[in-house]
Amino acid sequence: MIKQDTKVLEEKSIYILREAKQKFKNVAALWSMGKDSTTMLALARKAFLGKVPFPVIHIDNGIDFPETYAFREYLAKKWKLNLIVAYSDIRPDSVGSACCGQNKPDTLKKVMKWHDFDALIVSIRRDEHGIRAKERYMSERDQNFKWDYKNQKAELWDDYASKLEDGSHVRVHPLLDWNEVDVWSYIKKEKIPVNPLYFSRNGFRYRSLGCTHCTIPVKSNARNVDDIVKELETTKIEERSGRSMDKEREHVMQRLRALGYM
Amino acid sequence: MKVVNISLLGHKDHGKSTLIGSLLMQTKSATQVRINEAKVYSKKLGKAFEPAFILDSFVEEREQEMTYDTTRAEIKYKDLAFALIDVPGHEELIKNMISGASYGEAALLLVSAKKDEGIRDQTKRHLFISRMLGIDQLVVAVNKMDTVKYNQERFEEIKSGLSGFIERIGFQKDNIHFVPVSAYRGENLVRKSPKMKWYKGKSILELLYENSKPGKARANETLRLAVQGSLEHDKDLVVGRVIRGQVGIGDDVCISPDSIITKVTEITVKGKRAKKARVGENVAIRLAKKVNSDLRGSVICGGLYCPVPRDTITALVFVTRTLGKDLSIRFNGTNVETKSVKVLKHVDTTTGEESASGKVEPLNAIVAELKLARRIPAERFDETMELGRFVLYSGKDFAGIGIIK
Repeated sequence: MIKQDTKVLEEKSIYILREAKQKFKNVAALWSMGKDSTTMLALARKAFLGKVPFPVIHIDNGIDFPETYAFREYLAKKWKLNLIVAYSDIRPDSVGSACCGQNKPDTLKKVMKWHDFDALIVSIRRDEHGIRAKERYMSERDQNFKWDYKNQKAELWDDYASKLEDGSHVRVHPLLDWNEVDVWSYIKKEKIPVNPLYFSRNGFRYRSLGCTHCTIPVKSNARNVDDIVKELETTKIEERSGRSMDKEREHVMQRLRALGYM
Repeated sequence: MKVVNISLLGHKDHGKSTLIGSLLMQTKSATQVRINEAKVYSKKLGKAFEPAFILDSFVEEREQEMTYDTTRAEIKYKDLAFALIDVPGHEELIKNMISGASYGEAALLLVSAKKDEGIRDQTKRHLFISRMLGIDQLVVAVNKMDTVKYNQERFEEIKSGLSGFIERIGFQKDNIHFVPVSAYRGENLVRKSPKMKWYKGKSILELLYENSKPGKARANETLRLAVQGSLEHDKDLVVGRVIRGQVGIGDDVCISPDSIITKVTEITVKGKRAKKARVGENVAIRLAKKVNSDLRGSVICGGLYCPVPRDTITALVFVTRTLGKDLSIRFNGTNVETKSVKVLKHVDTTTGEESASGKVEPLNAIVAELKLARRIPAERFDETMELGRFVLYSGKDFAGIGIIK
């Protein structure tokens, strides 16, 4: 995996985060308590001089790991986050994309409408998935959260998408350029707190964190941030290999994202 | 690791995505999961392994064998990484091509050597656009050499057919290299191919590596700081990016277009107080004079005077759609209404030739005088790139790009 210069990545992310605050009236961010969205919050604290000046939303389906909830409480207090917990119902029989594709976007739609958010910061990265790699830094979603991926707006020279119409919003992707190893290098450099589930226990660790139903750990002896950076520099295993929904059928990510999934 | 952004250019089906896919395979930069996924889908469509599918992830892209939108993939080579930016070659997807190519620091153009393919209008148009985007390093891959039995004459024919145009639109001869390749079979991509012994030059990656010299140092130039706005919790903190020169505490500055002269009293970079900020850094600064107006779109210039702001600009404009009445430009983060456009010259983007008469048509260019609704801190593109360019809108639609003369 290619390790980039985190100074360059950091500047770009700060620029995008500030641009989002300038362009939109009511910005919010998704926070899953994972490494990416937590790194995004650390970047926001740099961009806005120690504050995270927007609410952070956790779409909570009640089946996240206990460590994830504990980490949420810990960091929300430490960084004085304006945390919005949006409860999402879950059916015990629904798993994988059927679950992620319906429950999470539906709950998100409700919370976005309730608070009238016009921009949503989502910490996706290009290297996670081929479909995410097709994204812009800022990208419109219509009232139904539909991603018109066949007709994306031109994006160049720091001219980014604006809001389309009432009820629509713009997705903001400040971490689009980052690779997984860059995120971990930055966590190391900036001593950003992370969820302990990322570290190896009994020879296994979580590379990518979802909820308890659909996330399985991968083989790894990386017990701390240094080990993880080293592991990622040589690994050939895909980051989302422990996420079951990605594997169901081809193009499941495309269908999910077109419908409003992150 | 330093990452150099390389934009792919070229007509549809001349092999851009395939070339990136092959490079990912040969440099072992693609993960097994992505390769397997491309393999499974190739098989499903009844094809041999299609390296382009590593890039073309949308189901429509795979089924129609075309790239809809831009993406990028990274490869490692020696001590450098290249981010290869894939772009669509279809004319109707030109806005996506421009979006992708705008991030390129150098370009890799593909021309198919296959019979009946060769140099096309879109081949040249992409080159024209890349020059407007400020790209000056170019490698031309003459592709599909396997379909012409690696014939040297066909390679030379394409090389001489394109050289004149490339130089006419302003590339320096020393900055252009032609390489015969087969993207699909992986010839001359990473290493020299034994199949084309007549070719004495270097492989694609060797050339990209040699061309990736460090960019122009802009630290010693006069300060330009493009202002994004101010912070919500402290309106007196102005945020923006240093685009050239540097800024220090106590420096005299002039804010354009309002010509406000003041001093810098406080600088914060990445959340920490600093004495100075350099090119590329995003800053939050405090000024000695309280400025009440919204400074978004303004430029903070070093010294006691600013370049004269302009409400009339002359620009080379590449047009992507039929222009309506309701024109505006996006300049330095703001939208500026355009009162009138006077066409001075028409430029054919496939020949580089200029003429006094003609029609303003999509995919062609004009040199025009634009009268704007207000003054902007515009400069010449060759002087300060970031302040010498704009995106053209017709109503709510992207309509082209312009560079200021």
